[in-house]
Amino acid sequence: MKKFSVLALIAAFAIPLSAGVPAHTAPAPSPVAAAAQAAVPATETDQTLHAMHDEMERARTRLQLPGVDKPFYLEYRLMDVDVRAVTASFGSLINSSTTRNRFMSVDVRVGDYHLDSSNFISEDGFQGFLGSTGQVGIDRDYNSLRQDLWLATDQAYKQAVTQMSLKQAFLRSLTKPPEIDDFWQSAPTQQIDPRMDPDWTSRNWEEEARKASEVLKDFPQLNGSRLNYYMVYVTYYLMNSEGTTLRTSRSLAAIEAAVDTQANDGMPLHNFYSLYVSRPADLPNPDAVAKSLTQTGTELNALRESPLVSDYTGPVLFDAPAAGSVLAQMLAPSLSGARPPLSMGSNFDAIMERFGGRSEWSGRIGTRVLPANVTLIDDPTLTEFQGKPLLGNFTIDDEGVKAERITLVDNGVLRNFLMSRRPGPDFLKSNGHARSSNLSDTLPLSSNLFFQASDSLDAEALKKKFIDACHDDGHEWCLEVKRMDNPALSSIRQEDFNDFIGSIAGGLASGERMPLTVYRVYVKDGREEMVRGGHIEGLTLRSLRNILGIGSDSTVSTYMQNPPGGFAGTALGAFGSAQGGIPTTVIAPSLLLDEIEIRGFHGEPRRLPLVPAPALK
Amino acid sequence: MKTKLKIRTLCASAAILITAWVCVAGDRPQPTATPPVLTAMQEELDRSMAGISKSEPPDYFISYTVADRQYSEVSGSNGALLSSGDSRARWLEVQTRVGTYQLDDTHKLGDRQPSWTSPGTTMALDSDIPVLRREIWRETARQYRAATEALIKVQTSQQVQVQTAEGNAPDFSREKSHVSIGPHVDITVDRKPWEERVREYTAAFSKSPAVLNSIATFTALGMNQYQVNTEGTKLAFGQVHYRLELYVQSKAPDGMDINRYANFDWLTPKDAPTDKVVFDRIQTMIAETEALDKAPLVDPYAGPALLTGRAAAVFFHEVFGHRAEGFRQKDINEGQTFTSKVGEQILPEFISIKDDPTAASFHGQMLLGNYAFDDEGVPGENVSLVDHGVLKTFLMSRSPLVTVPESNGHGRRQLGFVPVARQGNLIVSSSRTMTDAQLRQKLIELVKAQGKPFGLLIDDIAGGFTFTGRAQPQAFQVLPLVVYKVFPDGRPDQLVRGVDIVGTPLVSLTKIVATGDTPDIFNGYCGAESGSVPVSAVAPAILISEMEVQKKETSTDKPPILPPPAHDPDGHYPGQNNTAENNSQTKGQQP
Repeated sequence: MKKFSVLALIAAFAIPLSAGVPAHTAPAPSPVAAAAQAAVPATETDQTLHAMHDEMERARTRLQLPGVDKPFYLEYRLMDVDVRAVTASFGSLINSSTTRNRFMSVDVRVGDYHLDSSNFISEDGFQGFLGSTGQVGIDRDYNSLRQDLWLATDQAYKQAVTQMSLKQAFLRSLTKPPEIDDFWQSAPTQQIDPRMDPDWTSRNWEEEARKASEVLKDFPQLNGSRLNYYMVYVTYYLMNSEGTTLRTSRSLAAIEAAVDTQANDGMPLHNFYSLYVSRPADLPNPDAVAKSLTQTGTELNALRESPLVSDYTGPVLFDAPAAGSVLAQMLAPSLSGARPPLSMGSNFDAIMERFGGRSEWSGRIGTRVLPANVTLIDDPTLTEFQGKPLLGNFTIDDEGVKAERITLVDNGVLRNFLMSRRPGPDFLKSNGHARSSNLSDTLPLSSNLFFQASDSLDAEALKKKFIDACHDDGHEWCLEVKRMDNPALSSIRQEDFNDFIGSIAGGLASGERMPLTVYRVYVKDGREEMVRGGHIEGLTLRSLRNILGIGSDSTVSTYMQNPPGGFAGTALGAFGSAQGGIPTTVIAPSLLLDEIEIRGFHGEPRRLPLVPAPALK
Repeated sequence: MKTKLKIRTLCASAAILITAWVCVAGDRPQPTATPPVLTAMQEELDRSMAGISKSEPPDYFISYTVADRQYSEVSGSNGALLSSGDSRARWLEVQTRVGTYQLDDTHKLGDRQPSWTSPGTTMALDSDIPVLRREIWRETARQYRAATEALIKVQTSQQVQVQTAEGNAPDFSREKSHVSIGPHVDITVDRKPWEERVREYTAAFSKSPAVLNSIATFTALGMNQYQVNTEGTKLAFGQVHYRLELYVQSKAPDGMDINRYANFDWLTPKDAPTDKVVFDRIQTMIAETEALDKAPLVDPYAGPALLTGRAAAVFFHEVFGHRAEGFRQKDINEGQTFTSKVGEQILPEFISIKDDPTAASFHGQMLLGNYAFDDEGVPGENVSLVDHGVLKTFLMSRSPLVTVPESNGHGRRQLGFVPVARQGNLIVSSSRTMTDAQLRQKLIELVKAQGKPFGLLIDDIAGGFTFTGRAQPQAFQVLPLVVYKVFPDGRPDQLVRGVDIVGTPLVSLTKIVATGDTPDIFNGYCGAESGSVPVSAVAPAILISEMEVQKKETSTDKPPILPPPAHDPDGHYPGQNNTAENNSQTKGQQP
């Protein structure tokens, strides 16, 4: 299955350090030599832990370049990934694979908790011959892992030393260097969970994919289709020189499907379907999947037949799934309290801005950011809501800090940010929200995000409010968005994904969002009529001040976060797939917003193919 | 931390994916009924052509190529398994050319670099003909749209920019059609024994403290390729290739990277190298690595040099072979070194060079650049490039030159790239040969005559960078890996390191004074504009009267600070038995 790569945000960026006054500055801690990694009992059978411990011990006590600081912090991360993936289209198999890999990432820091070698982007960093990350042996044996860790630690140390001197030189060039600590010292934790072995069950996944996707042959107007089954088991290891040792396992099973077509005027259209569960055994049978795909195909057909939407500004009702998606896109950049990296280059802010990655809430702790009846909570500790599983659940984060339930916004007032071990201008301490994908840099990311209102309206009352607001504005009809688009899931090929991102990337900062299914709702009789071709403009957190009504139909939306390039949350971070994505949920009700601008399609129509599609059956 | 094994390439840049082509000689007879894929391709082609040829601009040529690829890979590093798996995928490439044979949408525009990647798409694996046709239709519509847009740009550019002589060459040659339905090939691989082998091979490397990192990779490739086009060509053929690669990394005390590489290639499982053969090779590689780590650096030097057969083969591939690739003669960005030299003496008169993809082996050893049909459906031809030192012609794809209007079956590509003229089996022969002893004697004579303190003997080479573009100097770099100083006073040869050969191609070729009598073979992968393709080069040892070498660019990164964990006198290491957590690691690999 293809993983869609988001357009590169990576370059050398700079932050003109607009250092906000840190809310809590701890007194500079005394310099620490590396503490010690936790001992591994001789009875432990996991050779991985032994190898990590022994090599870290050697590095901690003896790794040093002459005349240069010893490391003050060492960290080893490993990830065992077992994947079962099957793809089919129109009843034919496209791909089937079963893979096992192990990845490694080593971090070494010099300096101390106040100022260390991390969190700095330099133009010519150290380029080692093998690097501190990569793919390593899957036998879980001792010898090969020690060798790999030895080389990676050596490279990571040399990298840290180079980084540190570049960083110190850079800081000396600033008139006011930042006072925020680089690294928060957390208490060590040990959690060794039993390792999960992959269980693909005895189901014949190729046959199931064929059977389920065959139903799409009944839709002759479709151009293409893709049905992906993606199942993954991950075991994550963390060991650091402070005494934290972690081994956790998790699994995810996903069905993601896309279909596309062209309307009679040439407009390309698509639709998608996704389902996430925690284990392969929990995936629905092919008949159930076929039923869902039939719905997806029918909806796309309706889209094909529907008229173009015209430009519109006014009240818009977002059904709960659409509201969840919109909130995920809008909130991501503003929930993280970690300080962005220092950089020697320039244009960092400009690029983050372009991709909608600038926080709208930084520095606003204690002020009102949402309506007074709204509360926003992120809770990784919950495993279910109203009987539905919450896949964003975890007990200990990727840095070994215990996960905490955080009230971000309390009755409209901003109280907290999500924090990792990287302090920010507002907060110093981690609250156990450091998440990562494929051993990328950890970032504070949401897990299970609850958007709640103290007074909400039932479906009928909300609809009435909608119609009334519409009427009061003098409209004949207003727009209701039932689902938002997710280009990572609705694109069949990388080119389709690139086209899509290219068309909106310029506007993400200004709040451009892509709805998928939109309906005109007529004031006179409440009649619904599907329309196509529109995109939303100017939908940012500021728009949440104009909430006319909040529903009581809180619904769980599960999606995969995909934070690009190591920067916490841009709008694109909400567009991920099971491959490499971070399971996350948003629990949100329907939202009625005012003054929302939806623009219709004003471009050149695309030509239809010269030869019609050949019949599928 | 292994990047996937770095494949040893002969040339600059481009991809790393392994695709290998060798004709299966004498395969099991199988019924040659038309495979469903081919039926779907032909049916959809007929329908497309009927519709599109009436459109504006006219689509004068359509081809469909489907590569059905079965692939197995087992990789190990430092005594452990890195990965083990099988895959099967079909890749569809559709080409719709709009305009005319003389000027079409693929015409290269002025200075603008063309895109070398070929848009393609994955395709269903099953035999449901309507579904296959639907996918072909989708891709045809997409390609036609892109081609019409490209043609508009081409037509505009024609009016605005200067065209060189070769710019007037047609964009597409006219070729005969070919029909050939060959047998289907399959590979069945038992990966289990290979998993054990790669563990053992890399564990053997780890015994040497000089080895920082080692990778062993076994691959098996079974490729069935199908092609139809509107000229009437209809092809189905299959090729199988097995390969084992060994790679070690080390560092000299001054930080210079020392790498050694070896490969084994075979066509049928029974010809796989035995453990004994592989372990012997491993011991040789370890010995070379340890010796190179300790060898002194060489200083810049100009003087006589003797290249052994394998090194000479790479030398010819780089210095001559790439410049004989036809499409470079068309391109105003390229140096066009040889364009005007057809009929002239460019090499000593005792040297002849041909490129022969039809040869499956040379003196009993397989040749990796063997194929029956190139990737444009043209039969591979044995091309005489240099006859007694005189340049005769170029390697051609279907992109013709004014002076060479037809393809000679050298249009090749890695999946995902557009075919261009590439080498196959480059075979150098000589009519002035000497034994190795005589060659060595002659080297010493030249050293004394030129008053040099020593001559060079180059025993192994890696492919280097060849700059043939006009914007860069006409220099080439071939990277010698095993080099000895040869002294005129009879002292033993001394291994040195840090050597790079430099020079301009025309000059160095004219300075060959003698060759050996035993050709040697290099089988490898060449990465260039159309991706990585398997090639071979065959050449005898060559004696060059003057060769210039410079110091190799070295990494400034010091060797690791601590010794390897298994070879650390002060370190704790729990002994030789390498316990894995449980022995059923690799269950669950099969779907």
